[in-house]
Amino acid sequence: MPRPGFVLDVDRSTPPALIWHGEGFRLERLPAERSRVVYAPEPLSPLPDPDEAIRAALLAPLGDRPPLPELLRAGMRLTIAFDDLSLPLPPMRRPDNRQRVIETVLDMAAEAGVDDVVLIAALGLHRRMTETELRHALGDRVYDAFAPYGNLLQHDAEDPKGLVALGKTDLGEDVEVNRRVAESDLLVYVNINLVAMDGGHKSTTTGLMSYKSVRHHHNVRTLQHSRSLMDRPRSELHSSTWRIGRLLAKHVNVFQIETTLNNDTFPSQFSFLQKREWEWGVRDRASFLGASRGLDLLSPRARRSIFQSILAPHQMTSVQAGEVEAVHESTLANLHRQQVVDVEGQSDVVIFGLPHIGPYNVNSIMNPLLVSCLGLGYFFNMYIGKPLVRPGGVVILSHPTPWAFHPVHHPSYIDFFEEVLATTTDPAEIEKTYEERFATDDWYRHLYRTSYAFHGVHPLYMWYWGAHALEYASSTVVVGGNRRAVRRMGFRPASTLSDALEMAEDQVGRDPTITYFRCPPLMLAHVH
Amino acid sequence: MSTDGARARLRAGASGLLGGRARLASRSPAPFPLGPPTWPASVPRPPKRSELGVDYETEWARRYPVRLARAAYNEIVTRPLIAAIAQPSVDGLDRLEAVRAPVIFAANHSSHLDAPLVLSVLPERFRNKTVTLGAADYFFTSQLRAAYFAFATNAVPIERVKVSRRSAQQAALLLEEGWSLLIFPEGGRSSDGWAREHRGGAAWLAARGERPVVPVYIKGTGRLLPRGARRLYLGKTSVTFGAPIQPDLPARHLVARIESAIAALADEATTDWWSARQRAARAETPDLRGPNGSEWRRAWALGPSPKDRARHPAGERRWPPRA
Amino acid sequence: MKALQVERSLPRFAAARIASGWRAGAGGRLGPLRLVDTDPPALPGPGWERLSPRLSGICGSDLATVDGRSSRWFEPLVSFPFTPGHEVVADTADGRRVVVEPVLGCEARAIDPLCSACSAGRRRHCTNLTGGHIAPGLQTGYCKDTGGGWSYCFVAHTSQLHLVPEGLPDEAAVLVEPAACAIHAVLSTFPLDLGPSAENTAMERTAMERRGMERRGMERRGMERRGMGGAGKESAAVVIGAGTLGLFAIAALARWREDVTRIVAVAKYQHQRDLAGKFGATSVASPGEMRRAVRRATGSWMLDNGQLSDGVPLVIDCVGTADSLASALAVVAPGGQVVLAGMPAPAGLDLTPLWQREVHLSGSYTYGPEPAVGGRHSFDLAFELAEASRMERLVSATYPLERSAEAIEHAASAGRRGAVKVVFDMRGDPRRLSYLLAEGHTLTEKPGENPGGLSTHGKDR
Repeated sequence: MPRPGFVLDVDRSTPPALIWHGEGFRLERLPAERSRVVYAPEPLSPLPDPDEAIRAALLAPLGDRPPLPELLRAGMRLTIAFDDLSLPLPPMRRPDNRQRVIETVLDMAAEAGVDDVVLIAALGLHRRMTETELRHALGDRVYDAFAPYGNLLQHDAEDPKGLVALGKTDLGEDVEVNRRVAESDLLVYVNINLVAMDGGHKSTTTGLMSYKSVRHHHNVRTLQHSRSLMDRPRSELHSSTWRIGRLLAKHVNVFQIETTLNNDTFPSQFSFLQKREWEWGVRDRASFLGASRGLDLLSPRARRSIFQSILAPHQMTSVQAGEVEAVHESTLANLHRQQVVDVEGQSDVVIFGLPHIGPYNVNSIMNPLLVSCLGLGYFFNMYIGKPLVRPGGVVILSHPTPWAFHPVHHPSYIDFFEEVLATTTDPAEIEKTYEERFATDDWYRHLYRTSYAFHGVHPLYMWYWGAHALEYASSTVVVGGNRRAVRRMGFRPASTLSDALEMAEDQVGRDPTITYFRCPPLMLAHVH
Repeated sequence: MSTDGARARLRAGASGLLGGRARLASRSPAPFPLGPPTWPASVPRPPKRSELGVDYETEWARRYPVRLARAAYNEIVTRPLIAAIAQPSVDGLDRLEAVRAPVIFAANHSSHLDAPLVLSVLPERFRNKTVTLGAADYFFTSQLRAAYFAFATNAVPIERVKVSRRSAQQAALLLEEGWSLLIFPEGGRSSDGWAREHRGGAAWLAARGERPVVPVYIKGTGRLLPRGARRLYLGKTSVTFGAPIQPDLPARHLVARIESAIAALADEATTDWWSARQRAARAETPDLRGPNGSEWRRAWALGPSPKDRARHPAGERRWPPRA
Repeated sequence: MKALQVERSLPRFAAARIASGWRAGAGGRLGPLRLVDTDPPALPGPGWERLSPRLSGICGSDLATVDGRSSRWFEPLVSFPFTPGHEVVADTADGRRVVVEPVLGCEARAIDPLCSACSAGRRRHCTNLTGGHIAPGLQTGYCKDTGGGWSYCFVAHTSQLHLVPEGLPDEAAVLVEPAACAIHAVLSTFPLDLGPSAENTAMERTAMERRGMERRGMERRGMERRGMGGAGKESAAVVIGAGTLGLFAIAALARWREDVTRIVAVAKYQHQRDLAGKFGATSVASPGEMRRAVRRATGSWMLDNGQLSDGVPLVIDCVGTADSLASALAVVAPGGQVVLAGMPAPAGLDLTPLWQREVHLSGSYTYGPEPAVGGRHSFDLAFELAEASRMERLVSATYPLERSAEAIEHAASAGRRGAVKVVFDMRGDPRRLSYLLAEGHTLTEKPGENPGGLSTHGKDR
């Protein structure tokens, strides 16, 4: 029986805590009597037979949807969209959830004699996936049956011929969706719900729509009013996607399939990373020492390639299919079962150890903007109720934050960092002055559509993602980061954690209370 | 295009890249009469006779010394290589015991490995006395290529689509002379894993020469080196020989007969002889040509991909799929 | 009188060249420059005056000379031993404060009739730089008969003098000469919409230039361009280098080129970046960021090897190395212009982009009347700029002549040491003005000093 997550109060007998630091980790002793560590629940036991569970879910859907086979008939147009490379993290071992689900759907479609089937990677404004990445997500059987014949597409949010406007929501939000989706008799969306932000109407409304639509919910206002991004009823971003999604559902028959994973994040040689420190055995201590010494000897590049090759032993804990909203309710319940940890009250300082990977640097480089997005955008928002830190508190991030960008994946990030952040770090001003230029730059558009680059506007979204935290906390300190890069973002560099804590005292007073959010493995703090 | 022309173009291209000095150096053929004469512009050149494609003359490859060399080459190079790459297992050789050479071997076709594989597992009395009919537009496109295939697989050129009188006559003549023929009646390698419709060549030759057709089913080569593959995989293959089919039917029935014989062999190679016979008797032998429908459904019907080890550790493609 | 002199000494030039490879500016200690005690130069003839320098700047071409790195092209155009210094603010004997326009053209050389360039006012194109009654020398500061600014006294022809307005600090006045150079570089190029990228043939353009590209024309076109609103592409100019020349080029672009709507400055050091912004750059990039900055400004694509699909119509290269020229060619638009302002270092360069993109690469040397702004002289414009832009803040350090080696080292590493312009300051010496009244008012009092000058001069008298 997996143990639930819990909050450890640090006293003098507490061993040092493991803190992630990009492609590496450190053991740090936290101040006794005023620090606490939030530990994630242990991985839930997976579904015994995921394939059978998928089949059962498709045959007994939620909401007002008939079983999937009844929706399939010869001569129809079927489109299967799936979550892109940004999920799950780290990428899971084969077979991926998407492969299992899509194979089952296709078996049913073949049985029904559906000829016109197209698969679409729901990229949104993310970069296109490579063949290897697609094969990993979909499996070779699916890839080989679709890709050679041009039936495996990747959503293009800038293709003037490939988008259709479906109108506007009551609040005037444009709804412009992939043409193939709009012209399909049935859209099957296959999701992996890694965190509470994912899934529901957000899947289709960000993954399959144009920049013109996405900008209505990916902006500073919604993000400052999403308290938090991970708490759908209190998230302005989700209210907007829900409105757009409901309008889409009037035009397109959507059959949503959502899956959840347990938080078994690291392979056995790294299992110490998800164990509580006082339970480390000889083997764990040896692998920690071996890994940290070994990593010290390697170049950053070699370290990155080792970490990027980690595949998580995630396993499926639930699958639900049917009408979007009914499905998502059930998905969230399953997700909360794995991730929620109850936390009593806020502290003056919160510490996040940022790992090597975030949603936007799979097989890529974690550049400074992604560090900010992961820390202030994702980790900070991993709460229900209120943030782990009090208003005006200090956020401490631990990451090397190298001044390094992947030139193919993140071309517009470089410009944003060199030009925009050199001028201002205020999200609202950035949105006003620069968003249009970045979104319409011809070169970025070309690279997004034909190469493997994120959309031109994406770096701005990275900055907006942290808008809530920037407004809420009084300052952000980055431990062990490249000083120039950290300063460029308006954060304060510190060389050690104790330095960072001293710097925090300037803001929040002497002997502040500290929360260390020991993530990964992923969890969601319910702060009372 | 003549090779001279091609060579001249190559030279021109190279000297263009190397710049002026190279051009000067390369342009100094010895003057006539030491070098060749120039052709007066007023005299038309006689058209150059094509020597490639279906007109490629393979007679040299069947002369005794070349046959000897080929036998040696096949024993020393081809057979060990095929044994290493494809690890063939052979079934049904007993069905060939009673048959007299020459015969027509008709096999399914999914890979370039097929011809060398079959040739290397044929009984000895056929092995060095069999010619392969190869696509003129593929194997006989350049002198070097044509010579290699004529030598190594004893290939003779034939058109894929509409067989001309000349090449049909040549094949028939070879059969008369006592050469067995290896024919792939599908007329090309499978493009999607499923077999193509049979063409009439093998049946026509059998009827005309009154020689039996031996159906052959080759399994597994499509996995090792499929069409368009960029690399070769190692693995297991099998070759199954069927009972000879006498050409006592009209040619068009013979075509269907050969095709169903190969399908029955496929069934036998995948399951077992007895149940395959029963299905054949009930006319339930699975079709090698796959289901009708869109590309994805045909691909899907091939079953799990052998590449996907995570999903299917056994990793063997079911082909043909069970009905 | 003390003066710094460059002598023709092969070993010293060689030593300077080797040492400066180690450390720029080392030529000041080991090289051909020496502090000498000598008589003030004699007046070569009528129209010549003695000047007592207040401040005298150290310029890039001076550094190249001292370090033994200047081009051998200049060998016949200078006469040894000479006293460098052509950025000078000085006092005349009658108490005027002047700056010197150093080009020694036909007037100064008493050549009559003037060559066609000089009679058109374009003294920089003078064809008689080695003729006349003074020794060869393209400018004051390279001629053995005139002396130069790095001394307590030198001579200049009246036609070379420009009166400094009241109230302008010496520190600003000493920068008028380099400012005029930068202004000329900026104003000698084609207006962007009349430039090579427009559909004009070379001949039409020449004709336009002859007629004089009226300032009004430029203004009007600039306004039309901006009138197109955000829809039209901005016409950007890139200034590579933000030393003295670069900063003035930025200021001149901002002040007189209405057709340029965006100025991208490329600056290596932080203080230069700050100043570039203050002088009017729209955006500032470090050299490594230049291509991306230009790409952003022009909305072009960056190709795999870093070249841009489009670029800016005008690049002003104020660095003049092989690297800076190569990057200028990488960011200039097809049919655009690259101007070399300031003396380039001898460089090897891949000219393929120049050819394929029909880029106009031109030099810009010194000053003269500027047809683009109604024929006003570059120096007048430079005074205007000096008064408007608080130029004096660019003088970062002053040295007495006695500390020339330090001064030259400082100037050679100005960017790295957070400086812009380093100048010699003669104002501290109380005896300074006495040299103006020293003996030797006429050449007859100093016979044998300048036999060539004597004969010419004698005839004139």
